Amino acid sequence: MKDNFSDVEQRVKRYWYVDGFGELVGGGGMCLILAIYFAAGQYFGDDSLMDGLLQASLVLVLLGGFYLVRRLINAAKARVTYPRTGYVEYSEPKNKVVSGVLSAVVGMLLAMTFVFIVRQFNKIDAMVAVSGAVMGIILLVKQVWTARVKRFYILSAASLIYGAALSVSGFPRGYNLGLFYALMSISFAISGGLTLKKYLDENPPQTDL
Amino acid sequence: MANDLRAVTTLDRLIHEPARLLIITILSSVASADFLYLQRETGLTKGNLSAHLSKLEEAGYVKIEKTFKGKLPLTVCKLTLTGQKALKAYRQQVKEFMEMTS
Repeated sequence: MKDNFSDVEQRVKRYWYVDGFGELVGGGGMCLILAIYFAAGQYFGDDSLMDGLLQASLVLVLLGGFYLVRRLINAAKARVTYPRTGYVEYSEPKNKVVSGVLSAVVGMLLAMTFVFIVRQFNKIDAMVAVSGAVMGIILLVKQVWTARVKRFYILSAASLIYGAALSVSGFPRGYNLGLFYALMSISFAISGGLTLKKYLDENPPQTDL
Repeated sequence: MANDLRAVTTLDRLIHEPARLLIITILSSVASADFLYLQRETGLTKGNLSAHLSKLEEAGYVKIEKTFKGKLPLTVCKLTLTGQKALKAYRQQVKEFMEMTS
């Protein structure tokens, strides 16, 4: 009985990913922003004023990016998904304040760890390998285990492979990270685009509501 | 034992009906869902779904609101606190019955 209830709950959670906008706009958009961010840092040089400003604004870039892609996903879903297969508003986490504070603390720790790693490894580009591993693990844990969306296995593996391959490529770090996020952005876009195409083929617009 | 088993006869029949159980279970997993989503997920016809939702609304288990999402008209359904408690009690009763009979 519990399994049957859980199946329904899982199905409802998976509905968020049914149209591919999460990957196409969310993953693709966020990774594109980060690709431009790191490439710009490398372009302006390590000790330039712009690089300093970019480093200081990493948290703002992340938060602004999340806000922007969230708005874009909602707008896309309102236009494409809800008229075709219906509208769902997901429940807020029960301990919203606690989870918000925890997310902020984890986010700050991750940002500090990132900066620490960047400054520690000057010759071996472990930063891009760490980025690949972190994103691969997040995709694996968050998406595959909580929402059971199987295509995220491939994205998770892609993240690990890109990270490992680029860490020994010999490119400058900024371009390496830029390239990593650009590759991830393309991978998310392909995955999301194919999912969206399948979704649109299977779900023509409703003529009467 | 027999008395315990008889407890199954006190199951909330409003929820026990399969279509309504499915509707309530779906609504328990979200903050709200619209008519189209429920129709697709349950596989019920519009008339059937409408009838079941009306019964659940009359019992105070579901709240139905006509609203808009942008320019899109939506009939949004939400499980009330009473509905949440009723589902929780129902699940508990079924679980106990299954444990006693397995």
